Amino acid sequence: MSHHFIRFDNVKYTYPDGSEALKGVSFTITHGERVALLGLNGSGKSTLILHTNGLLLPTSGKVNIGGIPITEKTAPTVRKSVGMVFQNPDDMLFMPTVYDDVAFGPRNMNLPEDEVEKRVTEALDAVGLAGLEKKSAFQLSGGQKRSAAIASVLSMEPDILVLDEPTANLDLLARHNLIKLLDSFHHTILVATHDLEMATALCSRSILLKEGRIIADGPTGEVIENFNVF
Amino acid sequence: MEAIEKTYRQIVYEKGDSGFISAPSMLVVTLLFIIAVLSVPVQEPQKIIWFAVYPIIASEITSIGFGKVFIKSLWIIPFIALIGIFNPIIDTRTAFRVGNVGVSCGWVSFTSIILRGLLSFQAVLILVMTTGFLDMFNSMRRLGCPAVLTTQLLLTYRYIAVIMEEALTMKRARTARGYGKKKYPLVLWGRLVGQLLVRSMQRATRIHKAMCARGFNGTMPTGNSLSWNGRAFLWLAVWITVIIALRFIDFSDFITNYAI
Amino acid sequence: MHVADALVSPAVATVAGAVSIALIGISSHKIKSIKRDDIVPLMGVMGAFIFAAQMINFSIPGTGSSGHIIGGVLLSALMGPWAGFVTLVSVLIIQCLVFADGGLMALGCNIINMAAMSCLVAYPLIYKPITGKSLSKWRITTASIVACVVGLELGAILVTMETELSGITALSTSRFLMLMVSIHLAIGICEGIATAVVLDFIAGYKPDMLYIRSVHSVKSDNGKLSKRTKIVLWILATIALVFAVSFTWIASGNPDGLEWSIAGITGSPELGEAKVPPTALMPDYNSTFSGIVGGVIVMVMLWCVCTLLFRKRKIAVKA
Repeated sequence: MSHHFIRFDNVKYTYPDGSEALKGVSFTITHGERVALLGLNGSGKSTLILHTNGLLLPTSGKVNIGGIPITEKTAPTVRKSVGMVFQNPDDMLFMPTVYDDVAFGPRNMNLPEDEVEKRVTEALDAVGLAGLEKKSAFQLSGGQKRSAAIASVLSMEPDILVLDEPTANLDLLARHNLIKLLDSFHHTILVATHDLEMATALCSRSILLKEGRIIADGPTGEVIENFNVF
Repeated sequence: MEAIEKTYRQIVYEKGDSGFISAPSMLVVTLLFIIAVLSVPVQEPQKIIWFAVYPIIASEITSIGFGKVFIKSLWIIPFIALIGIFNPIIDTRTAFRVGNVGVSCGWVSFTSIILRGLLSFQAVLILVMTTGFLDMFNSMRRLGCPAVLTTQLLLTYRYIAVIMEEALTMKRARTARGYGKKKYPLVLWGRLVGQLLVRSMQRATRIHKAMCARGFNGTMPTGNSLSWNGRAFLWLAVWITVIIALRFIDFSDFITNYAI
Repeated sequence: MHVADALVSPAVATVAGAVSIALIGISSHKIKSIKRDDIVPLMGVMGAFIFAAQMINFSIPGTGSSGHIIGGVLLSALMGPWAGFVTLVSVLIIQCLVFADGGLMALGCNIINMAAMSCLVAYPLIYKPITGKSLSKWRITTASIVACVVGLELGAILVTMETELSGITALSTSRFLMLMVSIHLAIGICEGIATAVVLDFIAGYKPDMLYIRSVHSVKSDNGKLSKRTKIVLWILATIALVFAVSFTWIASGNPDGLEWSIAGITGSPELGEAKVPPTALMPDYNSTFSGIVGGVIVMVMLWCVCTLLFRKRKIAVKA
């Protein structure tokens, strides 16, 4: 039972303007593993993350999710199993109400409306936002927005969760709650972050990126201790 | 500018007895009401007054309170008065006399214009405050509006607050370093708005990515439909009857003949 | 520029409404054929942008007053005329509902005057031919100013026509027209310069944001209208025509040119026929005053009754 894995195989990516963001990245994340992706701004974290569900396709090399190599054709299928939480929840909550936002994914999967409702309720329960279904995104606090963004991904029942800077702009309490929430999940998790404390608390393994290359990959404590991460 | 943002937020947050009457029903009644009010000739303001029955009852029954609606609707007067004010100036024929004072036709039609403005605005206010934008846009879709437009409305409505926040931040940053200058010279203004434009477009790209990550394929999904329940039908039926009656029966006749 | 509800007659509002619904129908269809899958979020955010950008004012040199962007030409230059049109329509709808700029009935008029004239007339007929694919500052500036002025002037002329046809205001056509045209010439030049400044910034900063420079502007031929859309459009066109014809018919019920112009001034064709000396008491107005007084009294009473009646419910809801 190891089909929720992420495998990068010598992935290179060059942006249309010619800047090389990834210069040959290889790693494997196995089923149920939690991995922190560390690195400075501009080290290629966000680019790497966008490769996990086919929003960007590698210039060369291969990305394999749970046995499916990502191509333009398979990307829609892969997106059902990889839930991606973006850095700014305002970009993810574009629907009129929290309910509609969380239902956006399931509805795109053409599920019947009663199944959609079930999933929305479960997802909102999981992140502790039950009762706020009718609220609009701009009536939520920063922490609640983040939770809603996570719920909008959970409702698609993904096997793998990929998060970009989940603790950015959160106060201490909201951050604490978020870490607790993520800790309660059983998904395979890849999280790009600057937050070393969260990385230590949540992830047993860390990958350190620098200028588009992996320079360290191992237990979080060791990576942080042995390399001058920041 | 801050005032605009405040008003926007106020209207967005303030919701009356939402869902008391389902949105499509409210929308149809509002449209009918405004058509009826506008179709009364301007020479008969006494007929228009009776249409206040709708805003009064509708706002009280949905527990917004007519007082609030009335005060908010006063805001529109300057806009209408600006054009309507020419009527009393140009049309000076005497319409009727109160004691020794002659009232001109111009003033009569001016009164009409103000009343029309107030009433139709009040109806829109009640619509917005009872049903909220979301239900309203959804019911527009149900009433046959193209999905492109309703989706567009929902997204614009959602992001006005976000982009306005960005604009305000930029403006504050300018004010903080502007040494008291209030207005922008054109070139600086252009850079500012251009910058805001670029940010907006970048945001659109990010939203698009987030949509794609959740299976977006070019058309926005729609879910739960707004239902027409018994109450909505009753509401519609009652008000259609009342509005038609108000339009074709001159109630002021009864008043003039029997009361005064 | 916004026409208010109080100043249009139902006939004019219906004609304008029918026309604008037809235009929205056509452009929704055209947008579907735009090969650009991020058009949905782009239009949404751009609508919000126009809203926000209108809050930032620039100073107009020498006058002490300020101006802001309105946006039709700008939106079209960035997203193409059809998407620009629908975006501007959504802005107008939200302005109508939130800020009471214009009204629900006058919405059709406002859509035609502002959105259609700038996006569907001024952009394709003036802006596009002048700029072509060029990014030169001179061309962009000329094109923006001319397109904005023409768009606004057309709108201003339409505003005059709509108000006059509605016959609510007593202001005479020629005076109203002069007023509108001269004011909007000034506004048009300001908006044109503003549009030019912003477009020039974009041309220098990120030229691929411009519609003409983007790959998406390549026209595909599958934008043809479906049969059902065509039928709906024909029905709308017929409604508009019937109203327009019946309207002219009512208007020409006063064959005398002078009388027609009097009718235009006083606001009702019937008044023109009643050849009463200007000081005479108009028969129609006998009950006007008492009617107004009586009406106000009854409405105040109704309000009191309603407040008493529904107060219980309010308390019950709160408790």
